[in-house]
Amino acid sequence: MTMTRTIKRWVGFGLLGAVGLGLAGCTDGLLDENPPNVIVADNLYTSLDGFRDGLNALYAQARLERDGMSGTNDIRTEMMNMGTDNAFSLYPAGFEHVWNDWGTYNNPQVDFYLDTWTWMYRMINAANTIVHRADNPDIQWTDAQKNEVLAEARFFRAWCYRHLTYLWGPVPLNLEESSGASVKTDWTRAPVADVRKQMEQDLLFAEQYLPDMPEVPGRLSKAVAEHYLAELYLAMDEPQKAEVEAKKVTESGNYHLITQRYGVNANQPGVPFMDMFQDGNVDRDQGNTEAIWVFKYQINTPGGGQSIMRRSWVGRYYSLKGVQVAPEYGGRGIGRIGITPWAIDLYEPQDDRGSIYAIRKFYLYNNAANLPKGKELGDTLWLDWSKAKEKDPGWPSTRKWDWTDPLDPTGEEQYEDQAYVRLAETYLLLAEAQMKNGELADAAATINKLRDRAGASEITPDQVTMDFILDERSRELLTEEERRYTLVRTHTLLERVQKYNPLAAATIQPRDTVFPIPQAVIDANIGAKMEQNPGY
Amino acid sequence: MCKLVSRWLLPALACAVLALCASVPLAAQQVTVHGTVVTEQNDPLPGAAVSVEGTTAMTTSNAEGAFSIAAPSDTATLVVSYAGYTTAHVPLGGHTSVVVKMQAATQLEGLVVVGYGTQKAKDVTGSVATVSSDKMEDRGATTVEQALEGTVPGVSITTGGGGAEPNMSIMIRGQNSLTASNSPLIVVDGIPYEGSISEINQNDVQSISVLKDASATAIYGSRGSNGVVLITTKKGRGAPSFGYSGYAGMQQITNVPRLMNGAEFAQFKCDRVNGGENCDDALTATELDNLNAGRSTDWVGLGMHTGYQQQHNLSFSGSAQGIQYYIGGSLLDVSGVAKNDKFDRYTLRANVNSGYSSWLTMGTNTQMSYTDRGGLPVDFTDAFFMNPLTNAYNDDGTLTITPWPEDLVWANPLQNLLVKNDDVTRRVFTSNFIQLDAPFLPGLSYRLNAGLDYAAGKVGTYYGRNTKTGYDTQGYASTQDNTRFDWTVENLLKYDRTFGKSHVDLTGLYSFQGNNVDEDHLTSQGFPNDVLTYYQANLAALVTPSYVVSHSGLISQMARLNYDYDSRYLLTLTARRDGYSGFGASNKYGVFPSVAVGWNLSNEAFWPKASWWNLLKLRASYGQNGNQAIPPYRTLARLSDDSYIANGQTAPGFIPSTLGTPDLKWETTTSLNLGADFGLLNNRLSGSLDVYSSKTHDLLVKRTISPVHGITSIYDNVGELQNRGVELNLSSLNVNGRDFGWTTDFNIAANRNKIVSLYGDTTSDVGSGWFIGHPIDVLYDYKFAGIWQEGDDIADSAQPDAHPGDVKIVDLNGDGKINPDDRTFLGSLYPDYTANMTNTFRYKNFSLSGLFQTVQGVERENGLLGMNLVQTGVRRNTIYRTYWTPDNPSNTVPRNSDKSNPLSVPFLQDASFIRLKDVTLSYDLPASLTNRLGTESLRVYVSGRNLWTHTAWTGMDPEFTNGNQRGIPLQRVLIGGVNVQF
Repeated sequence: MTMTRTIKRWVGFGLLGAVGLGLAGCTDGLLDENPPNVIVADNLYTSLDGFRDGLNALYAQARLERDGMSGTNDIRTEMMNMGTDNAFSLYPAGFEHVWNDWGTYNNPQVDFYLDTWTWMYRMINAANTIVHRADNPDIQWTDAQKNEVLAEARFFRAWCYRHLTYLWGPVPLNLEESSGASVKTDWTRAPVADVRKQMEQDLLFAEQYLPDMPEVPGRLSKAVAEHYLAELYLAMDEPQKAEVEAKKVTESGNYHLITQRYGVNANQPGVPFMDMFQDGNVDRDQGNTEAIWVFKYQINTPGGGQSIMRRSWVGRYYSLKGVQVAPEYGGRGIGRIGITPWAIDLYEPQDDRGSIYAIRKFYLYNNAANLPKGKELGDTLWLDWSKAKEKDPGWPSTRKWDWTDPLDPTGEEQYEDQAYVRLAETYLLLAEAQMKNGELADAAATINKLRDRAGASEITPDQVTMDFILDERSRELLTEEERRYTLVRTHTLLERVQKYNPLAAATIQPRDTVFPIPQAVIDANIGAKMEQNPGY
Repeated sequence: MCKLVSRWLLPALACAVLALCASVPLAAQQVTVHGTVVTEQNDPLPGAAVSVEGTTAMTTSNAEGAFSIAAPSDTATLVVSYAGYTTAHVPLGGHTSVVVKMQAATQLEGLVVVGYGTQKAKDVTGSVATVSSDKMEDRGATTVEQALEGTVPGVSITTGGGGAEPNMSIMIRGQNSLTASNSPLIVVDGIPYEGSISEINQNDVQSISVLKDASATAIYGSRGSNGVVLITTKKGRGAPSFGYSGYAGMQQITNVPRLMNGAEFAQFKCDRVNGGENCDDALTATELDNLNAGRSTDWVGLGMHTGYQQQHNLSFSGSAQGIQYYIGGSLLDVSGVAKNDKFDRYTLRANVNSGYSSWLTMGTNTQMSYTDRGGLPVDFTDAFFMNPLTNAYNDDGTLTITPWPEDLVWANPLQNLLVKNDDVTRRVFTSNFIQLDAPFLPGLSYRLNAGLDYAAGKVGTYYGRNTKTGYDTQGYASTQDNTRFDWTVENLLKYDRTFGKSHVDLTGLYSFQGNNVDEDHLTSQGFPNDVLTYYQANLAALVTPSYVVSHSGLISQMARLNYDYDSRYLLTLTARRDGYSGFGASNKYGVFPSVAVGWNLSNEAFWPKASWWNLLKLRASYGQNGNQAIPPYRTLARLSDDSYIANGQTAPGFIPSTLGTPDLKWETTTSLNLGADFGLLNNRLSGSLDVYSSKTHDLLVKRTISPVHGITSIYDNVGELQNRGVELNLSSLNVNGRDFGWTTDFNIAANRNKIVSLYGDTTSDVGSGWFIGHPIDVLYDYKFAGIWQEGDDIADSAQPDAHPGDVKIVDLNGDGKINPDDRTFLGSLYPDYTANMTNTFRYKNFSLSGLFQTVQGVERENGLLGMNLVQTGVRRNTIYRTYWTPDNPSNTVPRNSDKSNPLSVPFLQDASFIRLKDVTLSYDLPASLTNRLGTESLRVYVSGRNLWTHTAWTGMDPEFTNGNQRGIPLQRVLIGGVNVQF
């Protein structure tokens, strides 16, 4: 009995020990990490497809320019065009008081500034990563394929430094892929001239290797690089080179101004100038011969993006008695941005670009529920823009971004394609270069191409001045161009805001022509003091 | 191999244990012992557990305290135990009839669960606090955290927000880590527990041990630096017993900040938008209609109701023929103060231990649970913000989709009442063991623990067209399938033996553990109709799947020596080595040693017997712990998806989103603890005092880096952090009469923490918000200096563009301008001290107990005081205040303008509070009555939680996180309950 128990005990002990130790086999690989759902740089950038995926993200990031910084609020173009001669803050929220009030509101702790900064460097790091990893000799691709990838990546890098230098002046020049092993705490700001030198190299490379026409609509072509080279050379005060680059676009034969009605809605009342802003007419394959670079959108599609241009630029007309949201009024806006009275009044009466098809200046009563006394449905309500003030629901607005989803007429987002760079602007860069090169007759002829198309009167060479070109840019590119950049580039921001923006004229100071470096950038630079821009 | 183990072997093992538990061994019967168990006052003590040492025989004393039990011989030793009394060892010495007099236990007697085993409290060298079930019951608690609240010094349990399912967090001895987790390790029946503690039935808990110092926690090595909470569930004992406990009651709100009503809102809006003139123009048609009709919508009021909660537990427990069993079932049903806020939990627990023979025992502690969190509560944040001059209901009584026709952004804050939401979790948590004593060496035993935790969660949500979300998207659905599969295997070798006056207890451990979370998410929108709710992704216009995968592993070895000589000199040596998958290839392993000594002075010969100071023990410990608590995969540089389109189709895109840190390693805390346990006046007054100091180095941090990298933060090991503190725990038996008794339990704790170094030098990291010499969390911002008044020289001040009524800022460096150089440290986010006091009064069979809780010396920002919460044009509501005007020159509240505080200077408030946390009045039916009812014991009680709070804080609740100051309010709970044993 005792013997049996002892044996059982030994056997039990042995068995249990064996099970316990056997389970130790389970520890094989237990401490190794192989996440099945995670993409890392080492396994993405190993083929042409992987690099294309990296580039697609850069396109998606660039497209964000017309989306909100926080959801569908605070459109990212704010720093690029508000508080200028042709745009003021109509319904300022939070930090947006800066565009009318400057002063205390323009300070280094504005989150929006930091978010813009971070967005740009995020793209730069993505581009640097592609540039760096394209050197990997194990990748199976042709030189042409590799160079086209590099051309797109380097274009986007230059595009980001363009934003950064116009907004902040000297900024850190980061050309390396960031890695956890080499975190820097002592960034220094590179002079603008150095940054532009790099932009020039990147854009020249892009010009060389980008295709004449993109294989897929929405991708970059040679002309985009040339367009930005022209602008860069103007900024670098090298107008001869600028003229050469601009002409490469205008004389390529690939691009033509829209001069006739076309496409969807061509049989509706309207003007040729506005046809290229209609959904279905925007890109080259839809008939827009003027489009150089188009942001592509697609509703209900992963990667389809969204824009809030209409939400930002169209006013709160539905707060007027007797008027409610309607697709024919563009949909629902929240009027964050208003066009200055000067910009509204900048057109000759016959100029299509200032016509009722381009700028909404009246509404027809369409809401029986709360009609004002003595008014009937269909009566006209003319807007009054003689005096700009904040929170005015009856303010004229551009019709370039009118768009509604028929299933959601009051929706916030929009999903139609949008031209981001178009030939008209290249002409205006060309005219500026020609003027600077003393070719006033050529400059006038270039400008008249746009004026003829719009039905405005032609100008004579002696009318060509920097001021006139800046006015013409506002007439042609209202709400499209990064207006602040143009004014910073031509050193006219302060003067023109004081002259044409009644809300900001008294508050803007010389320091406001360059934004304060975000405090988080200075705070994180614990290894070396990063200088703030003067006056902050 | 691993799959084989995890899928088959462990479940098989669990089944085998259960099966073996049911097999019944027989013990030889030789004599029958009859006896009575009595208290010191010679009152009979019913329900005491009686067993015979060296056998598996067990019984309990009856209502008269009597028992009879079979013993192998009349020289055997009886072991009699009862909660709250010192366990008695009674040698029969030839007798078969005995009277066992039980002595009331003090804290220092009885067994303490210390992790990988138990220890006598008087032999414990570390800082360990234990709470038994009788301190936790009858409090109307719904979770373990609520039951533990206020009972242990240095353990702060914070109610961060309201809701049917408690929103609580546990922190032990302050914050040790900058960005890694500060939550303690939770161990249930020996197995690490992840996920919601609220899924455990707190009523099944027998005791909770909290391990606080390095020596006590060192056995959990890498997991121990934030302390360890050991939860032990109930075991069966004595004669079969059937028990019911349950309560039911209601929940009410305690406090809601006063919001503006419709008329006040209209005036506010007019003042802000139109400078107090042409007020009708400032309002939209809907607002004007409601104002003129005298209507005002109390959105918060519409979202609230009186909630209820009830819990019912049935248990069947006992021990017979070597099997101890506890079978418990429970139902918890909570309906919170927010409409549609529900938390239902059903649990079934089987705890079974069986001795196959004297050398082989095995057992299981298993809980199966079903938790239903279905229904989306009314969104209180939306309700707080919603304009009171808008319409909740249509004329036909249905909820409006957008209550404000002129401002369509706003959904109806009550829309969640219309949302279909199902959210259930089914979970099995099982801890199993087999233990056998070695045949060749007395005192040597081997134990195999196997734990499994499998939780399957399923969430489905559908927003129909009657909600704004669904209206905008033509129906919006989201579904989630979540699984958690955690397993633990522990091999424990134990050697426990007494040699003369020396006692040696040696433990060795080899364990491994896997944690696996897998989630499949799917959102879809754009459906033909609402009929199929979330079962129609196949018909959607847009479908977006996403996945969460988090797998991690841990391999550990541990050795512990407990040595005591004559219960006078005590020594504990521990070392643990852990490997964690989340660290860099060369840094996976860390070693964490500790040493602790103790000296029971009162057991020395020189200690005067029968003195007023009857007990004194000194303790000291020093050791290291680790913290691995960062998510897996942080060593890898990852990309996130960011797609574009090509020809109308998705063109996949990826962008670098995190930086990898290949050398990531353990965060290590080194700490020193000095403690004393004492008893005075024959333990009428007893308690403990602990002081500690700890330093954490190689802090695992998510530090902010320059955005120039394109990525703004990175996981890293940096710097050093210090925590110092003191904890005092006192128990006093103030009055101990036959009819009347009064006891007081009091604890107080203070902790100070500061950053010692960061990157090898004394440079602070402003970007990350970390400053040398300051606590981890600081508020670093502009300092409020009052309000600019008319007549002040504003033009020549540092704020030349300010207006009278605007916030004045301290120009800290006096350079005549306000810029980021004027930021400074504001407030105090950590309390000076926290304290809890429980008083219990007993009069005959009545008992009244109340817990006061206080947190003192906290000052933080009250986000409800912000000036721009209403948004431009006044689109949202805010709290009612009287603003600065020339006639009301306030120096605390600015003028009513969205420009009166352009730099968003924070408004601080004192968040200290005193709270009457709970009060319980209970009545035990006397034996004469229970006998007549045929029950063993019967207790009825009423209890209330969160009854009264005193604070200067004007937000929702001083304890709530900033984000929840606008959430579901804290609830007051009033319940009545009954506990009965048959």
